[in-house]
Amino acid sequence: MAETSYSLQYIERDSPLHRAYPLVKLGWVFLVAAGLFLYREPLSGAIMLLLVLLTAVGVARVPPSMVIRSSKLIFGVGILLMFFHFFADPGEPVYHVGPLTITDGGLYEGPIFFFRLSVVVLASFVLIWTTDIRDLMVSLTKAGIPYRYAFAVFLALRFLPLVQREVDAVKAAHAIRGRANRSSLVHRFKLWQRYMFTVLINGLRKAEATATAIECRGFGAYPDRTYVKTVTFHASSLWLPLLFILVTAALLYFERLL
Amino acid sequence: MPQPATANTSQNQPLVNIQHVSYTHWNQTEPTLRDVCLQIQSGTLNVLVGPSGSGKSTLCDLFNGVIPHLYGGKLEGDVWIGSENTRGVKVKDLSREVGRVFQDPETMFATLQVDDEIAFGAENLRFQVEAIQQAVEELLLQTDLHTRRNHLVWNLSGGQIQKLGLASVLVMRPRLIVLDEPTSNLDPGATHSVHQMLLALRDEGMTVLLVTRELDEFLAEADQLLVMEAGRILAAGPPRQVLRDHGAYMIDSLGVWVPETSTIGIALHEELPLDGDIPITVDETCDLLSGFEFSPLSVDTNLGNVSSNHRKSGIQSADRPLVVSENLRYVYPGGAEALCGISLQIDPSEWLMIVGRNGAGKSTLARLLVGLARPSGGTLTLFDRPAARWKIQALANHIALVFQNPEHQFLTDSVADEIKYSLLAHGVADGAETERRTAEMLGMLDLKEVAADHPFSLSAGLKRRLGVATMLAGEPQILLVDEPTYGQDRQMTHTLMTLMREIRARGVAVVMITHDMRLVQEYGERVIVMSEGAILYDGATPGLFERDAVLEAANLRRTILHELINNLRRKGIALPEDLRNSGDFVELLRGYKLGQEV
Repeated sequence: MAETSYSLQYIERDSPLHRAYPLVKLGWVFLVAAGLFLYREPLSGAIMLLLVLLTAVGVARVPPSMVIRSSKLIFGVGILLMFFHFFADPGEPVYHVGPLTITDGGLYEGPIFFFRLSVVVLASFVLIWTTDIRDLMVSLTKAGIPYRYAFAVFLALRFLPLVQREVDAVKAAHAIRGRANRSSLVHRFKLWQRYMFTVLINGLRKAEATATAIECRGFGAYPDRTYVKTVTFHASSLWLPLLFILVTAALLYFERLL
Repeated sequence: MPQPATANTSQNQPLVNIQHVSYTHWNQTEPTLRDVCLQIQSGTLNVLVGPSGSGKSTLCDLFNGVIPHLYGGKLEGDVWIGSENTRGVKVKDLSREVGRVFQDPETMFATLQVDDEIAFGAENLRFQVEAIQQAVEELLLQTDLHTRRNHLVWNLSGGQIQKLGLASVLVMRPRLIVLDEPTSNLDPGATHSVHQMLLALRDEGMTVLLVTRELDEFLAEADQLLVMEAGRILAAGPPRQVLRDHGAYMIDSLGVWVPETSTIGIALHEELPLDGDIPITVDETCDLLSGFEFSPLSVDTNLGNVSSNHRKSGIQSADRPLVVSENLRYVYPGGAEALCGISLQIDPSEWLMIVGRNGAGKSTLARLLVGLARPSGGTLTLFDRPAARWKIQALANHIALVFQNPEHQFLTDSVADEIKYSLLAHGVADGAETERRTAEMLGMLDLKEVAADHPFSLSAGLKRRLGVATMLAGEPQILLVDEPTYGQDRQMTHTLMTLMREIRARGVAVVMITHDMRLVQEYGERVIVMSEGAILYDGATPGLFERDAVLEAANLRRTILHELINNLRRKGIALPEDLRNSGDFVELLRGYKLGQEV
């Protein structure tokens, strides 16, 4: 059986990031997100994007092709968001594009929103690529979260590659049906509508089947459960949040100086 | 191997006792189960068969309390597992007693890795860590998954997925295991191996209920055969007895697959005053036939009316081939080689079957042929043009692929609109012409009655026919169908195969990917066998069954009918070459019955 690789799943490697305690990595994602909402300069967002990319490719050794494959949609949406802000934010007019006006406020705020979206999502991807989600679930229960809730997080993350597989299958099937509309845009819109419909219907069916199946396997029979594999916290995991706390503090400090 | 939990029931008390159960789904008005009474003894292997929609899966939902606790609806009567009535016990508590392997075990998987998946159920039931670890090790060995213990569950082959499903239930040490069609999408070798595992479990004291459509010699080992029809238990008892009393009805009216040996036995019992049981195994059938005095036969006189529709082997078409590949290779983006040096040719209006073990590269080959993937090496010429120069949509006018899951292909909200979409996509712009051809397709595929229905609301068989209709609308030269009979009963399989035959009669080459060796034997003219991304055999169907090495390498098995024919030939009995199905064989025997005392 050929090995299928999906861009949003755990990549087995031996790296400092892979060895870090899952809950610490989850905290790191929140830390990165919090920093991005504090920065007032687009440059800070750019530095953070670069740093997260370096963490993914340089430290976690995630193949750059996988980073690009997973992130292109998010970067695309981020760019759209940025353009929206160019035109929608208040400020002094800078350029005119037909009836629309680009403002200086928009040019300043647009990149900030782009970096907020893309860096937070990319940091979440790093968590997925470097964390066996089972370990994440176990670490959440160790932190006192009831295992039913921790498992809900686990199942949601586990579904990502399956949804990706479903989308790929539907896209392939639609591709060979041909195009019934002359307008490429209308055709694309209709296809997206149908992807959403098919993936949603099949996703709901699968979710329902899985919920039934795990109950049939004794899930929830007792208030607690056994864990054959467990995860242990090591203080050495803290290098990741500490590094980013330092960078965030430095960026905020330099922003005040500007 | 984890042993079943200690039984509370005495030797004579059944483990399962279903008393006058009727059940109506919450969103339906008619009951799915009607006054079902059934008993299953401890340590027995029970096989449940019935046509699609007869209530088999609903019956399975009774054993572990999914009905009524999770699915609601109206349940009358009682289901007892040992001394417990399922009404009073929650599903998660019944999981200690009853293990359920679902039709698609992938949906029951809850973790990422193979060993975690096996441990999951036992962890939920708070077994000791050491006990779980020991059980996982034993089950990994027993299911032959020990080399895959750290693999992701979705990177397993079909057979491994089924075995993992079974192991993940066995770890909980249930007293009863219920398996709903676990082998419907497996290659013949994997099916055999799952059957052998179930027999071993029964021999170790486990109680097994298997819902299946793959009845072969394995049935001879079963303790009870249950037959369902329209929500009722039509028959229950020792397999040979049930086959004797209801076999003809099961075949003719219910469309249930029974072993070909039994089909022959049933036909002979109908026509001759034979005593005794219906045979199941090849040896039993040989014994039954020992009363016949076979003599050398003329193939033409005996089988001319039966097999004239099967083309002989070594087909060579005078027309230019539609597809030619030389040393074709395909490598996945991750680096794994899916196809390594495929050379083949597809001729106009031929019927080609592609078989092989799960993961052999059959579906990948299909994706290359329709342009969904590009070759990594070698040459692939499609309709006189290199594959690289084709755009998918232009290629779709020449070659059409019906996916294993037809739902993925649907784009509109009604059956008629699906066909219209295909016509528009293939350049039929005239409204009247579109309407005319839509009506023609609906008629040809018997879809008129559901023309206004939503494609997702159709039954599995109708969905598949609609899938074929949408792909035929473009009038392709090749129709490629991936597992068209997957999960279908005998009646629907026959309907679909008749449809394929009609399509071929219109001049379309039909290429069919399948695991069903009975279909290969009955309908195949040319067959390609694939294993590990390579072609092991490309030739006439009868020749395949003589190649032991090819069959073994591709995890294929001869049909029981072929085993029977071989067995008789070894005894020196001359039989025609072109016996394609049990009907052919019975027809042959009819030639002997007059004047014979059996």
